[in-house]
Amino acid sequence: MTARRFDVVVVGGGSAGCVVAARLSEDPARSVLLIEEGQDPRPIPEIIANPRRQGELILESDFVRLYEAERADGSTFPLISGRVLGGGSSVNNLGVMRPLKRDFDAWARFGGPAWSYESLLSAAIALEDDPDFPDSPLHGKGGPLRLNRAWKFDSPSDPPVEAMMAVADQLGIPRCEDMAVPEPYGLCASPYNLVDGKRQSAVNAFLDPARGRPNLTIQANTRATRLMLDGSCVTAVEVAGPDGPERIEAGRVVVCAGAYQTPHLLLLSGIGPADKIERVGLAVRHRLDGVGENFQDHAVVYMTFSGSAGLREDYLIPKVRLFVASTPGMDHGDLHILLHPSIRVPGMAPLLPVSIRLLEDRARGSVWLSSADPADLPAVDPRILSHPTDRTAMLNGMQLLADFVRHPRMAEFYGELVTPGEGESWEEHAVGSHITYNHATGTCRLGQADDPMAVVGPDLRVHGLDNLWLADMSVIPVIPHAPTNLTANLVGSIAARNIAAD
Amino acid sequence: MKLAGQIEIAAPAERVWATINDPVGLAACIPGVQDVRKIDDRTFGGGITAAVGPMEGHFDFSAVIEQSDFPSALVVQMTGTDSVTKSTLLATVTTSLEILGESRTRLAYTATLNVKGRLAILGDMILRATASMMISELVKCLKVRLEPPAGAAAAGAPEAAT
Ligand SMILES: Cc1cc2nc3c(=O)[nH]c(=O)nc-3n(C[C@H](O)[C@H](O)[C@H](O)COP(=O)(O)OP(=O)(O)OC[C@H]3O[C@@H](n4cnc5c(N)ncnc54)[C@H](O)[C@@H]3O)c2cc1C
Repeated sequence: MTARRFDVVVVGGGSAGCVVAARLSEDPARSVLLIEEGQDPRPIPEIIANPRRQGELILESDFVRLYEAERADGSTFPLISGRVLGGGSSVNNLGVMRPLKRDFDAWARFGGPAWSYESLLSAAIALEDDPDFPDSPLHGKGGPLRLNRAWKFDSPSDPPVEAMMAVADQLGIPRCEDMAVPEPYGLCASPYNLVDGKRQSAVNAFLDPARGRPNLTIQANTRATRLMLDGSCVTAVEVAGPDGPERIEAGRVVVCAGAYQTPHLLLLSGIGPADKIERVGLAVRHRLDGVGENFQDHAVVYMTFSGSAGLREDYLIPKVRLFVASTPGMDHGDLHILLHPSIRVPGMAPLLPVSIRLLEDRARGSVWLSSADPADLPAVDPRILSHPTDRTAMLNGMQLLADFVRHPRMAEFYGELVTPGEGESWEEHAVGSHITYNHATGTCRLGQADDPMAVVGPDLRVHGLDNLWLADMSVIPVIPHAPTNLTANLVGSIAARNIAAD
Repeated sequence: MKLAGQIEIAAPAERVWATINDPVGLAACIPGVQDVRKIDDRTFGGGITAAVGPMEGHFDFSAVIEQSDFPSALVVQMTGTDSVTKSTLLATVTTSLEILGESRTRLAYTATLNVKGRLAILGDMILRATASMMISELVKCLKVRLEPPAGAAAAGAPEAAT
């Protein structure tokens, strides 16, 4: 039997991969195969579509992968990624925020002018359809991704949210109705990926409109296990699907498997640093020292207060988000602070958790092969809060939050601090109980050809290989001051544009 | 995850010891704990109900008294399974008493909690807060049960008032 052949094979149908496959199949002369390890459930099941079932989706469904990660004190916590068509966009918390101008500035230091705010703003705007701001040049009209603010400043709010707004006003924290401005700051109304109350993943927004094209094949339940190299060319992708292993020939390959799995597939294919490949007995085919390095995520620490009885609010979709500076004198925000639903145990005052999310993490971790078996998840050492400046910023954020809720208006709802408890070190609490925002980034970062840790060039083609491209959060060199789904969509659109022009 | 603390109780160590060695009686002091029953001399079973936002879960647990040496060590091993994610929670609670006086006892405890399974996603945030709150309720309740009422104490200590 002769092998199937496609002009482009896209590996991974996540937030970026769906955009790549949809855009590249616009040209009917180009055959495109999209391979996704997870399912392509149709119609989209309620557990994915209904944001009220987010807890079940993460806690009970098969649509996520969990990577066990270690904290600095030896305790463990899970990192999460999506394992279903749509990737992270099918399981995430639906927040849709653009990177800040300062993030593009940081990326341009690695990728040159093609990555500047000025160059990419129009591409970011073109992704969106934001009916809340019909007259603003910063917002898209008629783009594939609909933005929706479930809550605005003039919407009716729960008493604790009202209190939060009142305290912010008194403390002189500005209101930010539009998080798409170059430098959002203050009490923000957050936009979400919701259409008529239903999740709008990259599948709904980008892939579904392209499904009918005869030149686009979507193959779910299929894992790419290796890229076959001949010199500086990728000739084929080996996959394991429902019908067993297959070797699929490709003119070009775009790997969009996410910040954990993209370096995983590269390392399994012998592309990466020698020590990471040889330690599991594989041979190096193309040495690139940056593969699997530079891992970043946003640190998240919860503080929990005892609440006034009877509070039954629903903050699953957080209404307001404090976007503030952790440290006095800082000229921009580096924290998100979110209120969360109460924990209730009969006979006990409700517990009210509040999370502090560090958006400017200096810690760098890594991803490597736990074995040579493609079915095994890669190992991850996220090194969250390992950088002293990150710890200080987090501790400052905790203090800021404690002061905020001690304000008489907030104190009506938020009582004494339960965790960290009396006499407990706040630093130990942060280091020993943090999780992350699940915004894994940076493990195959972009950079110029003379940059030894760069994996892809500014055009997203892998250095030293002719026809291998990467497009997902792994290429972003510095984690943005924002949740990452929209950034992943944007990376997909940049890659598609570059590949189409190649 | 570790939780530790200590309290002073104005009661003789023997009485404190008897109270903490009786899980069925003690259960009434811990919010959310239901249906505690004795399985054998050292083993007890029970349940806890808790809700996080719109999700409600039930924990079935069994507790085994591993060691009971007055006054230095009471070691209890707990294993629980939650109804939502079928995760298991393992906890070891070690309690020791220090005799400070005829009617003064210091109780020190350490609890080590471990979650296996998806519950770890909510993990520390939920567990830490819930466990510390339960412990502080338990401590309050122990004091109420074991210490003489405020009026009685005042009557019994006239010299302190002068
Ligand atoms: C629980 C959670 C909550 C989040 N909340 C938010 C939020 O509210 N707002 C926000 O902006 N961001 C959020 N994020 C982050 C955001 O969703 C991700 O950053 C984004 O989806 C990453 O996109 P990606 O294209 O890089 O990778 P992914 O979307 O992860 O896509 C990778 C895809 O590749 C597939 N794949 C992997 N390996 C293979 C293989 N070998 N063969 C075939 N297919 C493979 C995967 O199954 C997956 O579908 C959240 C993430 C999680 C996990």
